[in-house]
Amino acid sequence: MNAQRAHSSEFRLLAMPLVLFLLVFLGFPAIVNLIYSVSDVSFETLRQPKITGLSNFAAVWNDRAFWQASWFSLRFGALTALLECALGLILAIFLSPLIERRSWLMAILMLPLMVAPALVGLMYRLVLHEFAGPVPYYLWAWFGTSVSFLGPTSAFWTLIVVETLQWTPFALLLFYMAYRAIPTEIVEASAMDGARRWHLLWYIELPLMAPTIVVALLIRFIDGFRVFDNVYVLTGSGPGGSTASLSIYIYEAFFKQGAIGKAVAASVILFAVSFAVLYGLNFIASRRKGALT
Amino acid sequence: MINALRWLVFAIAAFAMNFPILVTLVTSFKSTRELSTNPGLWVQAPTLDNYLAVFQVSDRLNIFLYLFNSITVAFIGTTLAVVLALPAAYAIARGRLGERTLLPFIVNLRAVPLIIFAIPLYMMFQWLALLDTRLGLGLILSIVNLPLALVILVNAIRDLPGELDEAALMDGASRTQILLRVIAPVCRPAIVTSLIFGFITAWNEFLFGLMLTTSKAVPITVGASFFFAASGGGVQWGVASAVMVVGALPPVLLGLIMYRQISGSMTAGAVKG
Repeated sequence: MNAQRAHSSEFRLLAMPLVLFLLVFLGFPAIVNLIYSVSDVSFETLRQPKITGLSNFAAVWNDRAFWQASWFSLRFGALTALLECALGLILAIFLSPLIERRSWLMAILMLPLMVAPALVGLMYRLVLHEFAGPVPYYLWAWFGTSVSFLGPTSAFWTLIVVETLQWTPFALLLFYMAYRAIPTEIVEASAMDGARRWHLLWYIELPLMAPTIVVALLIRFIDGFRVFDNVYVLTGSGPGGSTASLSIYIYEAFFKQGAIGKAVAASVILFAVSFAVLYGLNFIASRRKGALT
Repeated sequence: MINALRWLVFAIAAFAMNFPILVTLVTSFKSTRELSTNPGLWVQAPTLDNYLAVFQVSDRLNIFLYLFNSITVAFIGTTLAVVLALPAAYAIARGRLGERTLLPFIVNLRAVPLIIFAIPLYMMFQWLALLDTRLGLGLILSIVNLPLALVILVNAIRDLPGELDEAALMDGASRTQILLRVIAPVCRPAIVTSLIFGFITAWNEFLFGLMLTTSKAVPITVGASFFFAASGGGVQWGVASAVMVVGALPPVLLGLIMYRQISGSMTAGAVKG
């Protein structure tokens, strides 16, 4: 009994460095966030914030740009997640006989995942450039016309394509692993029962892959929702703030406008919503796991 | 027949997904003169001039510094994450400590938009004189790396048989001794995987590099964007391409060599996360 207690306190000691580190580098900032969000604060009065109530939150709430950025993030996250997972699923299943025999093919498909999204964004500045870029060049050569890819009408869709092309490999990889993990006995047994290829896919294989598909959609939505790097280097937030994600909105409020109170209040809102959603999802996941066992 | 179709689909997918990388690679070998006449996907007269220009140090641009900064901050961010995560992972897996609090919190951290901590961290770093230092950026990158490192290590330790600990406990070893002498050596593959993964993530990070550094500690992802604003006469696309190739090369090489470990841990982090 005594030994056991000694062990539990030693375990506590082992976890302590991580906990302290998080308290300093996340706990303290979270408190600063909370205090500043209800204060009148500028770069001159950083150390003596005056508590003023909820005026910062009101400023964010009444800011059209905040809602525009929220709408952008939601749409961007949802559309890219759907596109990436649909493409990734089709490719994973269709290409799996090839990749099974030659695993280096997967390495080629995974290559975009290794490159910094910021660099990929910069690369597209070259790819889409009206004089130096190959895409406009070939469009002119073959069709006699080109598109202003980062102009007001197409910037959003250009960004969707950029994000989708870089992260489809992630979904592809996940789905390929899940597809390979389906026990061959199940597939063979249903083939013996005379199941057609499409039926097999629809009634056996896809349902078995459903948990992975949900997880992939979720991860890709989250990463699309909080997007910063590639959008920031490609369009900034333009044209006219139309491509500002919430991350870019907060960044610009702080660094470009010096509106500390607004930036911090928006951070607190995002913080509360993110953790509420994430813990909600954890709760649902653990409930369902409990129901299964 | 269907196999030929599979190869075709593979070729199109690989080409489309790697397109920006291909274009950048091709452009980096074009001379300034060729660039103005030939934006296509081939090179008439390959040259290394752009790479020579990239490695030319000037008052404004210093690629050696950016690369050195990236290596240093990635090193700090990766090792610190593993050093913090390993004992905690042991306590979680064996002591069942914080399984319902600490672990889910850190796993959720992977999904939170990190910008929400960025502004107070910026102020805190100003007070602590950590702005524009490699140490400061490295510390933050370790937070970015923590969730995946912890998940990988907790899973690895949970997969170990409990008898391993029991035997050492019988011999009168303390938990810390067991962690260092028994668990850590057996978990070496998982530790290596989290180090590789962390290094790639840290090298490719952009947001905190942009906010927390200005000149002395600028990492390559941010430094590369400086080349796009270089010199009055618009972007020099050849030089800019060469910078991007250099900046992307380390994680890409690491990824190509270790893609098996990486694909494994990516799915682990995804499924358990």
